Amino acid sequence: MNNRTRWLLTKLRLGWAFLAAGAALALAGIIIGLEYDYLPYNFRVITALGILLIGIGISYLVRYWAAQKDEAAAQRAMVDEMDERTMAIRSRAGNRAYWVSAGLLYAGIMWAGFAANGSLPPLTGDTLWYYLAAALLIPFAVYIVSLIVEQHKM
Amino acid sequence: MDLPKLVMKNRLEELRLQNGWTQQELADRVEVSRQTIISLENGRYNPSILLAFRLARIFNSSIETIFIYTEENDNE
Repeated sequence: MNNRTRWLLTKLRLGWAFLAAGAALALAGIIIGLEYDYLPYNFRVITALGILLIGIGISYLVRYWAAQKDEAAAQRAMVDEMDERTMAIRSRAGNRAYWVSAGLLYAGIMWAGFAANGSLPPLTGDTLWYYLAAALLIPFAVYIVSLIVEQHKM
Repeated sequence: MDLPKLVMKNRLEELRLQNGWTQQELADRVEVSRQTIISLENGRYNPSILLAFRLARIFNSSIETIFIYTEENDNE
């Protein structure tokens, strides 16, 4: 088995793993949500994560399944994945997203600190939920935008 | 004292055309994406030392022949 085949099989296995984990999470979210609807927790968060993983799994399988049947496509997929410029772009975008994420978390900690001595209103309920959702989504958005910007710059 | 600005230029496009290769063919030979070759030729991206050696080997040449390291003064 050559390097390329081994690499492709790893990617396909990863795709199946994402798909299985996503299906399990989505199903668990739906079933628990229906069975325990009296619990003060929104199980759609779990279902949404499951759907996201299913999407990632399917994208892996579609991409690498097609590459498996075509030698040239497989070679190109592997080269694209390991291309040094692509990795440099991802690294820069990831670095930027990390600092935004760290900044948001630090701001949250500062807010909680000031809220504890009554200088600021406490982050509770919906506000806390929206803050945490923003702390998750903003770094992701920064990562995607940075990828696009760096693609043009580099 | 201001340090001179260091700029790296290259002869990749010239050497590629001398060999009659397309950007995709060169990319396949050195196992990078075509976009990397485009960025290298445009001078927007500087390669790693490993990629520079691979390119030198492909063109049967030395790194210094392909990549030209020059100093540029700001007041020039």
